[in-house]
Amino acid sequence: MVTKRLISYLKPYQKKFWFAFFLLVLSTAAEIAVPVIASHYIDHYLTPRLLDWSSIILFSALFVGLPLLGAICFYYQYLAFQTIAQWVIKNIRVDVFSRVQHLGLSFFDRHADGSLVSRITNDTEAIKELYINVLSSFMQNIVIIIGVYIGMFILEPTLAVVSLILLPAVVLLMHGYRKRSSKVYHVIRSKLSQMNAKLNESIQGMNVIQAMRQEKRLHDAFSKINQDHYIAYMKNIKLFGLLLRPATQLLSVFMTILVLNYFGIMSFSTAIPLGILYGFIDLLGRLFEPINQMMMRLSQFQQAVVSAERVFTLLDQTEYAPAQQGNENPQITQGRIEFKDVTFSYDRKTDVLKNISFVAEPGQMVALVGHTGSGKSSIVNLLMHFYPFQQGSISIDGIPLQSFRNEVLRTKIGLVLQDPFLFVGDITSNIRLHDAEITDEKVKEAAQFVQAHSFIEKLDQKYHEPVGERGATFSSGQRQLISFARTMVHDPKILVLDEATASVDTETEEAIQVALEKMRAGRTTIAIAHRLSTIKEADLILVLHKGEIVEKGTHQTLLEKEGLYHKMYLLQQGMVEIAN
Amino acid sequence: MSVLKDLMWFFKSEKKSYFVGIFILLLIGCLQVILPYAVRIIADGIKAGTLTREVLMMWSVIALGIGITTYFLGYIWRVMLFGAANRLGRLLRNRLYQQFSSMSPQFFHKKRTGDLMAHATNDIRAIEMTAGEGVLTLADSIIKGSVVIIAMVILVDWKLTLVALIPMPFMAYATSKLGTVLHKRFHKAQAAFSDTNDKVQENISGVRVIKAFGQEDAEKKDFDHLLDDVVDKNIAVARVDSMFDPVITMVVGLSYFFTLAYGSYGIINGTLTIGELIQFTMYLGFLIWPLLAFGWLFNIVERGRASYDRVNSLLQTKPDIADQSGARDEVPSGDLVYQIEKYVYPKGNVPVLSHVDFKLKRGETLGIVGKTGSGKSTLLRLLLREFDVAEKEILIGGKSIQSFRLESLRKAIGYVPQDHFLFSTTVAENIAFGKPDATQAEIDRVAKLACIHEDILSFESGYETIVGERGVTLSGGQKQRISIARALLLNPEILILDDSLSAVDAKTEHSILDALRKERAGKTTMISAHRLSAVEQATNIIVLNDGKVIEQGSHRELMEQKGWYRMTYDQQQLESVVMEGGGAIGN
Repeated sequence: MVTKRLISYLKPYQKKFWFAFFLLVLSTAAEIAVPVIASHYIDHYLTPRLLDWSSIILFSALFVGLPLLGAICFYYQYLAFQTIAQWVIKNIRVDVFSRVQHLGLSFFDRHADGSLVSRITNDTEAIKELYINVLSSFMQNIVIIIGVYIGMFILEPTLAVVSLILLPAVVLLMHGYRKRSSKVYHVIRSKLSQMNAKLNESIQGMNVIQAMRQEKRLHDAFSKINQDHYIAYMKNIKLFGLLLRPATQLLSVFMTILVLNYFGIMSFSTAIPLGILYGFIDLLGRLFEPINQMMMRLSQFQQAVVSAERVFTLLDQTEYAPAQQGNENPQITQGRIEFKDVTFSYDRKTDVLKNISFVAEPGQMVALVGHTGSGKSSIVNLLMHFYPFQQGSISIDGIPLQSFRNEVLRTKIGLVLQDPFLFVGDITSNIRLHDAEITDEKVKEAAQFVQAHSFIEKLDQKYHEPVGERGATFSSGQRQLISFARTMVHDPKILVLDEATASVDTETEEAIQVALEKMRAGRTTIAIAHRLSTIKEADLILVLHKGEIVEKGTHQTLLEKEGLYHKMYLLQQGMVEIAN
Repeated sequence: MSVLKDLMWFFKSEKKSYFVGIFILLLIGCLQVILPYAVRIIADGIKAGTLTREVLMMWSVIALGIGITTYFLGYIWRVMLFGAANRLGRLLRNRLYQQFSSMSPQFFHKKRTGDLMAHATNDIRAIEMTAGEGVLTLADSIIKGSVVIIAMVILVDWKLTLVALIPMPFMAYATSKLGTVLHKRFHKAQAAFSDTNDKVQENISGVRVIKAFGQEDAEKKDFDHLLDDVVDKNIAVARVDSMFDPVITMVVGLSYFFTLAYGSYGIINGTLTIGELIQFTMYLGFLIWPLLAFGWLFNIVERGRASYDRVNSLLQTKPDIADQSGARDEVPSGDLVYQIEKYVYPKGNVPVLSHVDFKLKRGETLGIVGKTGSGKSTLLRLLLREFDVAEKEILIGGKSIQSFRLESLRKAIGYVPQDHFLFSTTVAENIAFGKPDATQAEIDRVAKLACIHEDILSFESGYETIVGERGVTLSGGQKQRISIARALLLNPEILILDDSLSAVDAKTEHSILDALRKERAGKTTMISAHRLSAVEQATNIIVLNDGKVIEQGSHRELMEQKGWYRMTYDQQQLESVVMEGGGAIGN
């Protein structure tokens, strides 16, 4: 099944494949022809001393030209197969990456990042080995073996038939090695990965290990796995010694004895042309390297198939991100958001949102308040159409959320995440992302708008200052400002804000506050709010608890209630007093 | 080749294996040349019509004997040589692990985990290759090569040998050259592959941003470009890789041609028989591998050299922090005194701590608060001697902590680090990490103290639940509480909580602190925290700012000072109301 699918990837390259195969056959034929011709030369020209200049030149040309032809053909076919394998792997990688791009967030929630990355990279790399080292190597070696046998048939058909008994012996040997080695290989691999895991863990937790004085105990544990690995590896060396090269070497000695006895015994009754013996011995010498090659590659095959299975499982995932329904292309013009009786569950068992209803009028700010797990983020996730929802309705400007095209939602709803994620590149590329229509001018404008311009100008390379992995060289406040600019460059109608709780330095904090205020102006804003100042300015405050709205109102109405909001307000006053 | 000299200590310690292994290679080489000789005898016998059944039988038996002997010998040298190399790998891995164990945190800050892992895996494998395949190819090409050439000269014809070998050095040269180019290109291909890895990693971690900005298709295009690069670089590798076989084919082909040409000449002149020609051709076949290996050897050794240097420099690194000579064996106890004039990180220039002086009587609790980066963690980690203070000192019971053995000092301290690190084993083993022989009752008790017992019981396999990537994913708060239980089990003289309550809710924090007070009566505790409620009950609280103590006193005193402490306290009270707003309304 898996093999079939792997082969199906070769289809687009059929022509090249068959051409390469043709070259392979040609190169093998050229190589095999040499001993056959040499045998003919010895028996019909050398032994009877029938050498004239024209035949000398002819044979010289053949003995030099044929290997040359073989070498050239071999070079091109080998390169061609490798190239095809590279293309095929690229296609598999593109397929799996594209598939993953379009999966819904619900899929990512359930799968660890690390294993997904490993599927797309390491597992596909293992498949590459399959194409190059297993499939193409097997093909080449089988063609050579067939070629050698054809050569033998040309020289001495009877002996060639007798020589065929070698094949079942080789198959038996291969089978025996594969059966035993696959177990040993499995142990080696698992011990190796255990050892690496232990080592990795020890390096990361070394301060704990040292503080608790467990160095010795953990070293002993490591040594034990190291020892197990050693033992398994020794077993592999022994297996290799018993069943691989030394074994095929022994088979080749058997074959030589067989050939000698065949000709020797025959010579008692008839005259034997020695050229044939020469040719046969030469061909025998060419037979065993391909066999060795194939046996050594067997274990890779099993490993690659396992990897391929994993990749294909990922390729068959259909948990797509929610798609647009209908074919119209409505636009967001006002920015009026309405949630009506929305009930939602990630796992279809426990509801994380229950009967959520509220309206955000154009230009208003709605603040979502509540502790972790109260459902604030889920509201945002639904509004962004990251997840499909089953009950209730969400509409923007009176049009159901599902009817909007993704591009419309992505450009007109600006999401500002709590943890601003920066990509490797520079500042400009982080603001513009991949949108070529955003000019440098626009990038600058956006940065100015969100108060990021002043700190960017102070950088060595200004807007082209490189951004490293996850933007680690920037402070969290600076990262936030850059991510603000990234959102504002699209001039969204609606702003979805996940306010950061992390404390940043005062200067940046001020810039952030000014930026946020400017960003909110004239836009409908849904904010997951942590700061009282943000909450105070909201037109509507939703207090969430366990997925339900438990309190709803404006700053004023909530104050008058003398409930929670009142309490908060008083504390705020107290603080102002102290500060003075 | 110098790496072989550097590995001499190992070869000496494995004298027997290498001696036996190499001796066997010599033996095999000698036995091997007999078979072609047998072929020649029989061939010439056939030609002359003098072959008898007895001669045929005898040589068949001899050949069979050689084959079987060679089979077992081949097995033995593999076990000897590759076994030794395998032992070298085992030894180096153990040494490296040992070395890592004695390194201070600074070392791990400087080096990236990935690099250290690469040294322990790839580099050691390359060294193993040198000690195994490297020694083999060297011995094989020299021993087998010489034996075969000697056999050619003695048993056949020295002139023919000379003629036939003309193209051979070119093969060793070409494979060595190609190997170098291949290695370089392979590196580039690996780098390109690692770029795609980084891309995928970034893409998956940033999936929310990518979706929020609708960048999926653009990302696909980006990935496609990166893959094109990978394909190009790999095809560049393939171009070189594809050269190996053709070069060998050509060189060997020429050799055969020369042999046949000169051999024909000899046969016509009567100086050579056809049997000898066949024998010689077989010898020629034997030479291909040693010569090929000789070219390959340079690459193995070159890689082994670089890897050995890297591993060796790691092994030679001296630990930053070590016992002083004549360090005390006793476990320190008594009052704790900090007298730090100034502490600067190695290679840093801004002091992280300056003028930190305080005294903590045995049994008292110290609270340390302040903004991120104010030096709280450093202050605590100095006590563990993760770093050493040069200017002035820290005393326990009147003795400098540097005068104790590290082992003894650490025995006195229970440490709950900020980045609560758990090991991927069971919950019970994690709690009993510092005391592996703890009974289940002891584990239960500390788990209860740390308010994690109930949580653990709710896991599928309770205390036997595996933690980490392959097991349950714990919340930050749960990890912190397990770390606390882990430290409590040691019942240490001094307990350090380095911002270890940040992820537990206020109520749990309160119960843990309560339990700590009861449990640790008469023992010293140091707590650093962002949330001031964690230190409210401390005997003494110090407020750090930029490494300096800006306020100091009990909670009550600090509240009256109306400084940073008071401001922050009020703000946090407020924020806690906001955060738990839903709950408050519900009540």
